[in-house]
Parts: sequence; C-alpha cells; structure tokens
Amino acid sequence: MESIEYRNCLIELLYQLADDDFILAYRGSEWLGLAPHIEEDVAFSSISQDLMGHATLYYSLLEELGEGKADSLTHNRRPEKFRNAIILELPNGTGTYLVNPDFDWGFTVVRNYFYTLAKKIRLDSIKKESYEPLQHIVKKISVEMTYHLMHWETWFIQLMNSTPEARSRMETAIKLVLEDFEGVLSYGDLGDQIVTLSLIESEATLKQRFIAELQKKEPIDLSMKMKNGDGRNGTHTKHLTTSLAILSEVYQSIPATEW
Amino acid sequence: MSKEENGFYQVFEVFSKKTDTSSLQHQFSLLAPNRDLAFIMAKENFFRREQVADIWVVKREDVKRMSQDERESMKQLNKDYRETKGYGYLKKKWRQYEQEQLTEKDIMGGGDK
Amino acid sequence: MTVASEHQLEQFMDRIDRGEKIEANDWMPDDYREALIRLISMHGISEIMGALPEKEWVPKAPTLHRKLAIMAKVQDEMGHGQLLLRVAEDLMEPLGKNRDDIMKDLFSGKLKFHNVFHMEAPTWGDAGIIAWLVDGAAIISQTMMLGTSYGPYGRALKRICAEEVFHAQHGESIIMALAEGTKEQRVLLQDSINSWWPSLLMFFGPKSKAETGHTNQDKNMRYKLRTKTNEQLRQEFLTKYVPRIWSLGLTIPDESLRFDEGDGEWKYAQPDWNEFKRIVTGHGPKSQERLSLRVRSYEMNNWVREALGKSALASGVGSHE
Ligand SMILES: [Fe+2]
Ligand SMILES: [Fe+2]
Repeated sequence: MESIEYRNCLIELLYQLADDDFILAYRGSEWLGLAPHIEEDVAFSSISQDLMGHATLYYSLLEELGEGKADSLTHNRRPEKFRNAIILELPNGTGTYLVNPDFDWGFTVVRNYFYTLAKKIRLDSIKKESYEPLQHIVKKISVEMTYHLMHWETWFIQLMNSTPEARSRMETAIKLVLEDFEGVLSYGDLGDQIVTLSLIESEATLKQRFIAELQKKEPIDLSMKMKNGDGRNGTHTKHLTTSLAILSEVYQSIPATEW
Repeated sequence: MSKEENGFYQVFEVFSKKTDTSSLQHQFSLLAPNRDLAFIMAKENFFRREQVADIWVVKREDVKRMSQDERESMKQLNKDYRETKGYGYLKKKWRQYEQEQLTEKDIMGGGDK
Repeated sequence: MTVASEHQLEQFMDRIDRGEKIEANDWMPDDYREALIRLISMHGISEIMGALPEKEWVPKAPTLHRKLAIMAKVQDEMGHGQLLLRVAEDLMEPLGKNRDDIMKDLFSGKLKFHNVFHMEAPTWGDAGIIAWLVDGAAIISQTMMLGTSYGPYGRALKRICAEEVFHAQHGESIIMALAEGTKEQRVLLQDSINSWWPSLLMFFGPKSKAETGHTNQDKNMRYKLRTKTNEQLRQEFLTKYVPRIWSLGLTIPDESLRFDEGDGEWKYAQPDWNEFKRIVTGHGPKSQERLSLRVRSYEMNNWVREALGKSALASGVGSHE
C-alpha cells in the first residue's frame, strides 16, 4: 500500500461499491415472491443474489485490509458508517415486505436499470486503472453485468412503450429516481483524492457517459439531484436504519456465536 | 379469461445447448408477454445450476407438433432395409473367405490410421 | 369435455398398464385430467405459498452466506411453482383456463395449499426446520411420484428433485449450527421442532377416509399418478428423520412415539385431523395473512400485466389466427 491516504481512499471507495450492492440486493430480496410474474420473480432473485455476491467480494477485500469480518461489516455497523447512495436505500413502495406491501414495479425497474448502467460504467472505469486486487474483483463481477443490464433494459423499454398508464407511471418513477440519483455518481467528500490517486475516473466523466448511454435508449431529461443528501458522507434516511435492523435481527439476537 | 389476460400469458418453449458442440435440446416452457421477456427470463428459470452455452426461445404457436395419432404412426414404421440389422449373415460369409467383416468402426474410422 | 368411447378408455388404460407416459395433447379420460389438475395445481400453488414463510427470513438470515443460500432456496421454490403451474396450465388449456384462473381459485379458497404453509414461522429455528424437515417430507412424496404416468409432471418433478438435495443440506446446515451452538440456540431449535411436529405428521394426509371423510389415494394409484399410500410415506419420513432428530439430543413432542419391531412400523400419536381440515380450508394461524399478501402482490402488479398483455396483442405478437 502506497500511503495512508491511498489506503483511506481505497477503503472509502470499497465501502461505496460494497454498500450500494448490499442495500440494493436487500431491496430486491424484499420482492421475492411478490414480483408481477412468477417467471420474473425467479429471474429477479438471481440478480439480487448476484448483487449480494458482488458485495461479499468487496467486503472480503475490506476484511483483508483490516476492516473486520465481512459478516460483522454487514450485520454490526452503524448506519452512519454506511456509504451507499441514498436512492438505493429508499423503500420499494409503501408497507413492508411482510405486511401490506404496496411495491412499485415501475420504480424498481427504473432504479435498477439506472443503477445497473451506472455500475457498469463505474466498473469499466476501475478496470482501466485502479488498485490491482480491486481490478481482479471487478473483472469477475463484470461478467454478470451484461445479463443484469439486458434484463432491466428490456423491462424499462417495454414499460416505457406500452400503455399510457404504464408510461405515466414510468415517468413518475424516473422523476423520483433522478431526484436522488446524483448520489450514485458521487464519491463523497474524499472524491477529489480518490480521483487524484487514480482509483477511478472523475465523477463528471462517468456522469457524462451515463447520460450519453441513457439518451441513446430514451431521450429523457436527465437532470439529477441529491435531494436527501449524500450517502457517501454517511448521511442517510430512516429507511436505512430500519433496513439494517431487519438485516441484522438474528445476528444481533445472540452475540458472538456461529450461525 | 379475457383476451388481455391471455396477452400477458403466452407460452414459449425453451431450448438449449449445454456446450458449443452439443445439439439443441428442449428444456421446458414458460409464460411471457413477448419474445424478449421470455428470453431474459429463460436462463434463470431453467439454468440456475446447469451448464448452458446457448438458449433459444420459440413461441409455442409457431411450433408444429405431432398429435397422438401421428406419434402412434411413427412407432409402426418399419424400415429394416435402411438399417444394418438385415445384414448379420455377412459375418459368417466373410469367415468362409477367411476374412473378418469390417465393423462399423473400421468403416467409419478407417481413414484415420 | 368429450364423451369417452369404451374403446378410447380401454386403450388409455392399456397405455397406463404398459407404463407408457401420457402427454399433454393425448386423449385422456376427464377424471384423469381432473385428478391431474387437482394434484398438480395444488402442488404448484403450495410451492408458491411455501415461499412466503421462508421469505420472511431471507433478509434476516444471520450471515452473508446464509442470506445468499436462503434466497437461492426460496427462489427455487418459486421456480418449482413455475414448473408445476406450467404443467397444470397446459392441462387446463382445453377447458379455457390459464394461470390467472389458478390464482383466482387460490384467492377464492377453491384451490388449497399444503397445511404446513398455513403455519407460523416466528424464529430462525423455523427457517432451519422448514428446509430440513418440511422439505424432507416433500422430497419423500415428490420422489414417489417421479414415475408418474403423466409425462410432463414427471419431467417437472425430475428438475425439482434435483434441487431438493440442496434444500435438504441447506436445512441440515442451519440446524446443525443451532444444535452445536449456544444454549439459547438449542432452545430455539427444540422449540421449532415442538411447534412443527404435528404439522409434519399431517403433511402426508390422513391414513384413510376414516380420518377426514375423503381421500383421492385410490384413484391416483389406479392411474399410476402415485405408487404409495399416505401412511407408507409418513412411515418413510419417520424412519429417515426420527433417529436423526434424537441423535442431536433433541426430543420429539410425542411420548408414545416408538418403532414397533413386531409390526415393523412406527407408532405415533395421531395428529388432530379436525384441526388439519380447519387449517387446509383456510383457518390456520397464518392462512389469511399469507393469502392476503399474495392477493396484494397480485393486485399491485395488475398494471404491469395489463400494459404488457395489451401491447402483446397490439403488436400482433400474441395472435397468429
Ligand atoms: Fe419445492
Ligand atoms: Fe424445496
């Protein structure tokens, strides 16, 4: 490791990558058994598993860097230590996955499609130049990105071009997602250093690629914000706290044991 | 069952190749509103653990299948004259000429040696 | 549908007796079709409803590995539902019905699902017991039907059974960790066994008509849809699992449970078959809650099916007539 600064920036970036996938995998897993279609339920679940698998790879690298055990990083870390983008922690709709869910498939399709595209662009950038062990992981993950992207793109394009009702639901969902999507493309307060140390290309570069890619598919206004703040700096909504309580309920119930 | 409901539930047949060199095999069927969605759902529905090199989806309506009667008639066809079964006596014949009959392997793979 | 001629029926029974496999578009007697639809749609919808109690534990699973494994397991159960419903749907097609009708039958209470999936699963121990013992019971009845006379059902079961091995071991691994864990973990596990035991005995259905007033066993055996009775399956289950439960130092909440060497069978206290009837008719502890979860998920996604259903017709994808 070159310097303390390098190490800190690397760890920061790893948490961003890991927590994004982990939290979105959780949101995906809440859909299990509730998707619009049985066949889709099965397909979607594979993607959620893949995301959690990707997160696991990043966490194990954090474990190697001395951050603690992967299971403890996911089940025993305070919400303000999480670095995921806020848009990914927002609920799938109203209700919970157990009681009175009223989940929004349009929101899920848009969030996942936009995220998958941004993730692919991010990984492609890391592949060019970054910390070598991270590049190894990213190469493995990239193999699965083609399917994820094809899956969400198909849903996105089809719902955008079906009935007027679906179109208006999708447009509402796009607006909602964009209000916080800037957070996915942000690297937080350490961003400048992360870029200077060549861990990844600049936010602006990746954002430009993201917009260009998406415009090719659908000519929509893509101005985006961070309405709820920047998750990369530890700002989060109450939804993350509730989610983490669920995710760690069993783990926390009997401390220091094997499961 | 309204037409709209049926519109979402079209039957697609899923075929696959296990490796690049294996031949296409029927796997199962699934419901989807169109070919593209059928295609993105096929892999995870039928090949979560199995190795797969290629996947085809075909709308069932576009497949001409045999009826029970047609399948019955397949069983009754007897085309022995197309098979090697009828030529068993040759083995003995060649022995009379102190020759071994060429086996399938000799005939097929003879050029390799 | 069709009036069966004597001759068709005779030919059909010959095919059954010869061990031939019947295919979806073959001629079949109405009551064979009905028996299949009843059996397979109930099996299929049970897989879908069975995903719900375990799904409760998917995000809560205590480690990353457990989270991934239980997600994959519940996904498989949805996948089993997919396979089985496809088989049932093809049988229902000549009757002008499709998946929507299956769902509506479930919502109206006409289509029942397995007793075990009406029960509560309030702890992580239950997640382990479901995968180990409920799946264990399901494996026994599913492998029994692998040789079924209906070809498409047999092919679906073959795919299903291949995955059940993973389910069983996933369950064993959870309960093993609990059994070898802290005192609290052992208590958790023992409590789960206690609460699930009667449901597990009920899973195979009543021994004879005497218990609940009706059973479809006889006809299903004549048509070679199944090869063993409910009681034979239950005995297999006991032989397979009772010694293993005991070997972990756990107990079973039935003082009378023992293997009778003389009769060569397990003696056990009969579960309350009236309770069984109440449960499967939608009066179990979680019946209504799980049904309403399913109804809700169906309704909240109506617009998606409608949107793509309509555009399928508009683009001509759906119609070739
Ligand atoms: Fe199953
Ligand atoms: Fe199972």
